[in-house]
Amino acid sequence: MSNPGFTSPFGAHSNPFGSARLDTSSAMQRVAEEDENDTVTSPTTPNFGQSAQTGGSTFRGPFGGEDGGSESHPPSVRSPVNSEGYPAKYNFARRTSVSAESLKPVGDSLDNWSPPVHPKTPEQLERLQTAIGGNFLFSHLDDEQSSQVLGALVEKPIPTKGIKVITQGDAGDFFYVVEKGSFDVYVNPSGSLQPGPDGMGQNVGRIEAGGSFGELALMYNAPRAATVISAEPNCTLWALDRVTFRRILMESTFARRRMYEGFLEEVPLLSSLTPYERSKIADALESQKFPAGHTIIREGDPGYEFYLLEAGEAVAYRSGNDTPVKHYRKGDFFGELALLNDAPRAASVVSQTEVKVARLGKNAFQRLLGPVEGIMRRTQYVGVQPEPGAPEPMET
Amino acid sequence: MATTVAHAQAVPPGLHPLQAAALRAAQQQQQQQKQKQQQQQPPHHDVDNQPFDPTSRKLTVHDFVRVRTLGTGTFARVCLVRPSHGTLEDRNKVYALKILRKTEVIRLKQLDHVQHERQILADVRGHPFITNFITSFADHDFLYMLLDYVPGGELFTYLRKLRRFDEDTTRFYAAEIVLVLEHLHEQQGGVAYRDMKPENLLLDADGHIKLVDFGFAKRLGNRESGHPVETYTLCGTPEYLAPEVIQNKGHTTAVDWWALGVLIYEFLTGYPPFWHQNPIEIYKQIIEKPVVFPQTPALSEPAKDIIRQLCTVDRSRRLGNVSGGAARVKAHPFFDGVDWDAVYHKRQRGPIIPPIRHPGDASCFDIYPEEDARRDEYTDDMKAKYDEYFKDF
Repeated sequence: MSNPGFTSPFGAHSNPFGSARLDTSSAMQRVAEEDENDTVTSPTTPNFGQSAQTGGSTFRGPFGGEDGGSESHPPSVRSPVNSEGYPAKYNFARRTSVSAESLKPVGDSLDNWSPPVHPKTPEQLERLQTAIGGNFLFSHLDDEQSSQVLGALVEKPIPTKGIKVITQGDAGDFFYVVEKGSFDVYVNPSGSLQPGPDGMGQNVGRIEAGGSFGELALMYNAPRAATVISAEPNCTLWALDRVTFRRILMESTFARRRMYEGFLEEVPLLSSLTPYERSKIADALESQKFPAGHTIIREGDPGYEFYLLEAGEAVAYRSGNDTPVKHYRKGDFFGELALLNDAPRAASVVSQTEVKVARLGKNAFQRLLGPVEGIMRRTQYVGVQPEPGAPEPMET
Repeated sequence: MATTVAHAQAVPPGLHPLQAAALRAAQQQQQQQKQKQQQQQPPHHDVDNQPFDPTSRKLTVHDFVRVRTLGTGTFARVCLVRPSHGTLEDRNKVYALKILRKTEVIRLKQLDHVQHERQILADVRGHPFITNFITSFADHDFLYMLLDYVPGGELFTYLRKLRRFDEDTTRFYAAEIVLVLEHLHEQQGGVAYRDMKPENLLLDADGHIKLVDFGFAKRLGNRESGHPVETYTLCGTPEYLAPEVIQNKGHTTAVDWWALGVLIYEFLTGYPPFWHQNPIEIYKQIIEKPVVFPQTPALSEPAKDIIRQLCTVDRSRRLGNVSGGAARVKAHPFFDGVDWDAVYHKRQRGPIIPPIRHPGDASCFDIYPEEDARRDEYTDDMKAKYDEYFKDF
């Protein structure tokens, strides 16, 4: 038996960041080749058939601590390969950690930072919106983040054919959207651009206007997985660098969370929460927008959610009375008794302008911090302690 | 060959054949390694009888003889070392020395991270399942962290060799990791580890886990401090990143519970739940796709359930992050029957006993190149600008 050795056969295949992941077929081949040399499970072992079929339940380590026993296991370290039990093409190599540069929100310091703004026509903005809208790195952004990101994209003219915009193997810091023209994509199997006429490797595709490339650079600095080169003269790109992108997201998220925490501090029902707990709740708040005239909660409906008003104005009405009983502005909240019980809403709340609210369900609250009653019991909470079924008080 | 298995250290009489095979392979490698070392290192002659005490004064790299490299990272290398002086007994001791090149730390913008690493390692010293930090020092070009040597090698190596672990084995390791996370998140007051994966779990001589590489660990705000609990720097390992890290939403200690779900999945199946050659595709899957389980091996319901509950995108539903914290994880049916006190006190030996024949045996570690790929000069300008960041070493 030629022993495979203790060194992982995949160790040599380990690669920095993700770029060489393109080359994975060979990893699987190595497994297959090596396994031919392995001692095959003995047919006399009780679980032979099962092992051979499934690719091996390999090692039954006793949690209870008794010795492993040697009777029922194949005498080889590696069980026979079976494509069924294993995904094809999985790269078994040791995985390298990745990290972006550390960023601290300016809210934490005295620096001042605002995102760069490069003016664009409405048509350009619309094209860009379409180009990046479906991308998972952008699809979850809120309107403010989205417009900041679009504003930060900078125009980059590519005057002639044959200009390498990104080079395989190089460090990547920018993401690009094609505004005009087209670009060819080449991959060299070696993992980086090589000297010589065929150094770019194989042409694997073309990116036209509306397409984009280099998105991994928005997450961390990984070597480029391909070379991208202009295929015609007079092309135009929009470029966005990682630090700008991540800062936009971080600053707005940071500011919003601090805002939520500030709002939550004002809710008497939640006055005994620690900053840590408020932060956990801020984590679970969901932002939602409504047009003017929308009924956010309706009198008589069961209440399951609590609302903070982030932007805009709203009013509360009670049935049979056309005069609002309460007026809400930014930082105000309503429906907080839903956290305590499922009593029907005591009033309707209707948006007067376009509003943005942050919503928290009773269930989410309880999952994170346990029952509100427990929170209230911590201090002498002297706010509204309604009788079961009592109408929700409007003054808080 | 079987006779050589019966070594003093920890090998049970009824050695599992898989372990025996691993042991044989390891011995072969060990022998090759020994020959190599003999060629590389002339025996050390200047015997002095001053005891070697690594904590009594600031050390330098000359206090050690480098035996071999145990692992390399993007800007660090971990070497097996012996004291270069001291009594004969001292000079037979072994340590792991983590060496970071300052120019690479700067180039990769990891200045904050190495400071956190040193500080947190010192803070968590003494936990049964965390690599023990002894001291740190620095010279012109490098930062050094001296750690206890953990001889069993990476759990990663055993997992790839054995292909996958059964549920008892998985439960054993997962239980130890839960105690580590409980300690970091709750007793240490909000330390997020941020790089959980089999590559960062070593086995000690008795088969227990030691968590290593605190390069991304960070102390976040917690119940007592008034600081924000979330942080924003993307770091970790692609297959193990939580959705909120990918989407830059601000992340907390909850990322470690997500990663534990990925880890349990990988232990049981041999591969992580989200994988692709192209990292971007991994990230799309993490955000968009639920965890799916293979037909073979068939996972038990409690195993599937704990994976699903840990790998939950909504952090208000993620096990470990919800009210009750780690206690809720420990109470999950997957851990039914686990005596947590016994786990903490290591009352049971591990399901895999590394084939180690002496304390300085390095045969459980893979071989790495001994030379750094990049050796940029640490200039006086850099020194003036950055040495301030390294003053804790």
